[in-house]
Amino acid sequence: MADAHPVNNNTLFMYNKLNDLRFVIGLFFSVVSLILILSVLLGSSTAGKLNMYTGVGFLIFGVLMMFLRKQHSAENK
Amino acid sequence: MRLHLADYLIIIVYFIFVIGVGFLIKRKIKSSNDFLTSNRSIPLWITSLAFISANLGAQEVIGMVASGAKYGIMTVHFYWVGAIFAMVFLGVFMMPFYYGSRARSVPEYLSLRFDEKTRGLNAISFAVMTVFSSGISLYALAKLMETILHWDFDISIWASAGIVMIYTFLGGLTSAVYNEVLQFFLIVLGLSPLVIIALQDAGGWENIKAHLQPELTHAWKYMGNANDNPMGLHFMSLIFGLGFVMSFGYWCTDFLVVQRAMIAKNMGDAQRTPIIAAIPKMMMPLIVVLPGVIAIALMQPALQSKGYRIPVAANGELDYTMTLPSLIAHYYPSGILGVGITALIASFMSGMAGNVTAFNSVFTFDIYQSYFVKNRSDRHYLLVGKFVTIAGVLISIVTAYIAKSFNNINDFLQLVFGFVNGPLFATFLLGMFWKRTTGHGAFWGLVGGTVGAALTHGLTIAEGKGGWIAPLYTIKSGMGQAFIVAGVSWIVNFTTTIIVSLCTKPKPDAELKGLVYSLTAKPTYHQKKWYMRVVPLGIILLVITILLNIIFF
Repeated sequence: MADAHPVNNNTLFMYNKLNDLRFVIGLFFSVVSLILILSVLLGSSTAGKLNMYTGVGFLIFGVLMMFLRKQHSAENK
Repeated sequence: MRLHLADYLIIIVYFIFVIGVGFLIKRKIKSSNDFLTSNRSIPLWITSLAFISANLGAQEVIGMVASGAKYGIMTVHFYWVGAIFAMVFLGVFMMPFYYGSRARSVPEYLSLRFDEKTRGLNAISFAVMTVFSSGISLYALAKLMETILHWDFDISIWASAGIVMIYTFLGGLTSAVYNEVLQFFLIVLGLSPLVIIALQDAGGWENIKAHLQPELTHAWKYMGNANDNPMGLHFMSLIFGLGFVMSFGYWCTDFLVVQRAMIAKNMGDAQRTPIIAAIPKMMMPLIVVLPGVIAIALMQPALQSKGYRIPVAANGELDYTMTLPSLIAHYYPSGILGVGITALIASFMSGMAGNVTAFNSVFTFDIYQSYFVKNRSDRHYLLVGKFVTIAGVLISIVTAYIAKSFNNINDFLQLVFGFVNGPLFATFLLGMFWKRTTGHGAFWGLVGGTVGAALTHGLTIAEGKGGWIAPLYTIKSGMGQAFIVAGVSWIVNFTTTIIVSLCTKPKPDAELKGLVYSLTAKPTYHQKKWYMRVVPLGIILLVITILLNIIFF
């Protein structure tokens, strides 16, 4: 049954993931961190150090939030 | 201030996420309770952060930084005197009645405890106040964006209101609450680097203390005499006016914040919500007061080489409300500048969404369902709730344009809100802890308190405001006047309620079970681990708060 509807199951899996606020917050800060880090690496930013530090900080926070979500769903299973 | 591609990208990503949250929650909305009360299903960590975030609107963030620059470290009183004690009181003593009564709103609790006229008075005044507050918040956002980024006023209004409308229309209260948590992290994490680099630039806290006048770096030391401190307040009027009347009146009775605790999964979580929220609230001065103090320190002669100045208004005086935007412009380069601007936008949207969701709950349940259309299907009330969301946002937009045309309307509305809010806590205190209080007593107490507040304002004058009946008494600061007005309105309400209650017939005890302290069984079902119990948690918070007051004495 699971193999018969791979797209639906994937959609459901992604929906459940996104439905957890920790994942949404983690994803948001990860995306923002990538913008900040890329702006330094691509040289479009005039003050790279602050953007880089903030970007790395946001990335750590974002990954941590997504990790907490994963741990929580593992505990529920 | 000019934004670049990275800044715009961050703002766009934020907009996509907040709207995306609305679409995700939309699937869960099946009934009016899902839409308007989240069906009491929200986890504790979310209710707690939403509780504090509902109060973290733009007026709070920008206003407290401005106050930090104007009054110095005394601004922490709004947190360590004017918030933590009331939040602990709400969690320990009042949530059992709000949550245990199964009321869906604060006005509904008043109807269960007293009668329909008391509920109607509270519901109508609350609905009007929230929707106008939302409009003022919207006006402030558009004005700020016009001033600092030269964005078009109309586009700012319609774009930000449109985004709030989309996600609250799609996901109702749950969507607003989820976004409030995202906005909380964005505000805290987005403004933290600013505090760190500005503090470092100013040479650290010890250097700031060395260069500022001592009354700007002590919270209590100069409050023995109103003329010795920048707020112009005596410590007794601060403790009674802010610490008791205004603080308890706001944190314990304002449905906008109490609603966040009422949607918790169970009674234990509902009680813990304001107490857990008090932990970040206690730390919030680091984000919203300290930058203001740093800003004023950077303007002292010894630090003028740093090149920072608070902008000057048209009248030649410092424009303190521009302190935070100017700090962001001074210290944030492109990239993180987008984060700072997004944090400002988030604080406006958080405040507006909180107002709109509280408005639609109160309007649908306490006005429409109670007085106009009773006993219709749940789907009918769900549709009404959604329609009211759109109407609430549209009224906010109209209010924002009125505020643009008549600048004094902001001051007028704030004044009226003060008259209505000031006496509220007396009604709840007597209602919950004195079973003899009657519906007539509560109603006339509220009316008397509001009239008392208006008369006090009309007979006193401070900084050119008030005295519209006769300027009989002069008060040094506007803030002191606000505390005195609130104090008088509370006392008038308290005494009127007692006198009228003693002359009228109370409800029988059987009708007051679960609504009054002496007739309600004390909750014992979450007495497991000490750190999960509200009383030990509350005591620890109060001890830490007292210690913070001593450290910054």
